Amino acid sequence: MKKILVLSALAAMLASGDALADTSDKKIAFSNNYAGNSWRQAMLNSYAIVTKKAVADGVVAAADIFTTADKEVPTQAAQVQNLILQGYDAIVINAASPDALNGAIKQACDAGIVVVSFDGIVTEPCAYRVVVDFKDMGRQEVEQMAKFHPEGGNLLEIRGLAGTSIDGTIHAGILEGVAAHPKFKIVGSVTGDWDQTTAQKAVATILPSLPEIVGVVDQGGDGYGAAQAFAAAGKPRPTIIMGNRQDELQWWKEQKDKDGYQTWSASIAPGVSSLAFWVAQQVLDGRTDVPHDLLVPYLAFTQDTFEAELPNIPKGGVASHEYTQEDAIAAIKANIK
Amino acid sequence: MASLRLLLAKPWIWSFIGALLVWLATIAFTGGYGGGGMITAALSLAVFTVIVGVGQMFVITLGPGNVDLSLPANIGLASAVAMKVMDGNDSMIVVGLLAALACGMAIGAANYLLIWALRIPPIIATLSASFIIQSIDISYGRGLQIKPPPGFASFTNWQILGIPVLAILTVLFSIGAAIALQRMIYGRSVLAIGQNIRAAWLAGVNVGRIRFLTYTLSGALGGLDGALLAGYFRGANVDIGNEYLLACIAVVVIGGTSVAGGKANVPGVWGAALFLVLLLTMLNTFGVSAGVRLLLTGLIIVGVITAAGGQKALR
Repeated sequence: MKKILVLSALAAMLASGDALADTSDKKIAFSNNYAGNSWRQAMLNSYAIVTKKAVADGVVAAADIFTTADKEVPTQAAQVQNLILQGYDAIVINAASPDALNGAIKQACDAGIVVVSFDGIVTEPCAYRVVVDFKDMGRQEVEQMAKFHPEGGNLLEIRGLAGTSIDGTIHAGILEGVAAHPKFKIVGSVTGDWDQTTAQKAVATILPSLPEIVGVVDQGGDGYGAAQAFAAAGKPRPTIIMGNRQDELQWWKEQKDKDGYQTWSASIAPGVSSLAFWVAQQVLDGRTDVPHDLLVPYLAFTQDTFEAELPNIPKGGVASHEYTQEDAIAAIKANIK
Repeated sequence: MASLRLLLAKPWIWSFIGALLVWLATIAFTGGYGGGGMITAALSLAVFTVIVGVGQMFVITLGPGNVDLSLPANIGLASAVAMKVMDGNDSMIVVGLLAALACGMAIGAANYLLIWALRIPPIIATLSASFIIQSIDISYGRGLQIKPPPGFASFTNWQILGIPVLAILTVLFSIGAAIALQRMIYGRSVLAIGQNIRAAWLAGVNVGRIRFLTYTLSGALGGLDGALLAGYFRGANVDIGNEYLLACIAVVVIGGTSVAGGKANVPGVWGAALFLVLLLTMLNTFGVSAGVRLLLTGLIIVGVITAAGGQKALR
């Protein structure tokens, strides 16, 4: 009888391909390097919601969050070293730099610690990277634009923080989109740093010299600022791609109620932190087939779905999505080639 | 001719010449298209740099080592305080502005307290204060963007014949600041302290009180700027003042105020602020990449400061 139980349990395990070990005594730390904007606040919030439940359910023993106040690399490197000494089994990290932390990350790996990076990823090969498919997001922006403006026209592009991989990837996606829809032409490009204020200022300085713009392709966090700059300059309102921020969706709703304004919204969900947590849990669980680079989908809203989401976003915050263990397993499966 | 030479001898004229050249280069590129819109945009954006620039100018004029590096954090906190107090309610606009001013003044006074009571150099004192302020801001604002009341938002964007009303008000404020600097006991005392603090003290200037007032004034202007920025950019946030760390010092220096202290002028702050915005306009219009833009901005600022400094040596 006992033998049958063990065998059937073993069979169940093999069938599902996970849960080879127990993670209820494992401790996972979250190393975060900045908390000063709405996206990061939502990221921490989603992480806290998911991990509190995971700890209460006994899935893991502890899931502590450590945030450094500045965006500096040395501070975070020291923090990672402390986490190694404190004996955590895994570190989920949003890193201040893709390569400058590699030394500390390597130390963690050598100490047998599982490192999962997301958003601000690390290039150290021993770490896992949860990456959102930003290239597809850039491409989709132009695809959506083509739906609203089949006749094509002039586009204004707002870039993100110069030198980051995210900025480069979204930009490459947008260029691919424009190549597929040659009716569109990017006539101006400014740097908005994913920040409403910076974007508004940059757009305000370039607008007077631009011809008529039918659409703005951007990277999230900059749409509302762009809308304000067009209004301040007294220029006609173009189709501005949004980035899931509450003020952007709110503005969209106001315009839609006024005259049926149409656009599209997409961004990386801050809750991707919770997905990184589950990936770490899966690796601790003994799964050896998890790819080190995991491409996961972005969070998008359309004309039909954004209004339902609006009440769920805190005022001044950003739309998020808390991922489950099943989501992580599905994401891992989708990335095994 | 004589009046032209007199004008060219003014240390602040170079910043206006720079602004004009940059504007002409931009409209030459666009073939004259959008020149007026550029001026409107430049005036709207320059206002915010001028307000903190004037505060920084008074502090820098106090003499070597005096600088207020807490302005960016101050702006961020005051923007959140103003928006929270106003709470989207038009009837609370004045209260919110006063709260932002009070918040800024408290920061300025605290800065001077650190400098005076603990004898910390101003650079260290104001920089460490800014970390404290930023932490307060993060826990107070929770990183959320708080929206301004509609009346306040449209006030900050109100234009008459293409000229922003906020710019007109700031010009009036600048005239007041110029009078305070050149014609009032307070301003003369600031200049005297900057030229020689010991001589000023021996001449009977209450050095401690003047320095206290100056840091408080700088803090108050930072607070006011935070509230106005939150209005214009439709929302408070922690990083809203970040770019003013360099900008508020750059406009003072480009404007012809002596970094060594004791010599200051208000018009130069305006010229330099317009120059910086128009420079950004020009580089954006030319469509240069972000890296090249930062490089050129740095080089051009160095160039202008060198040109302005060379002029001073001639006199």
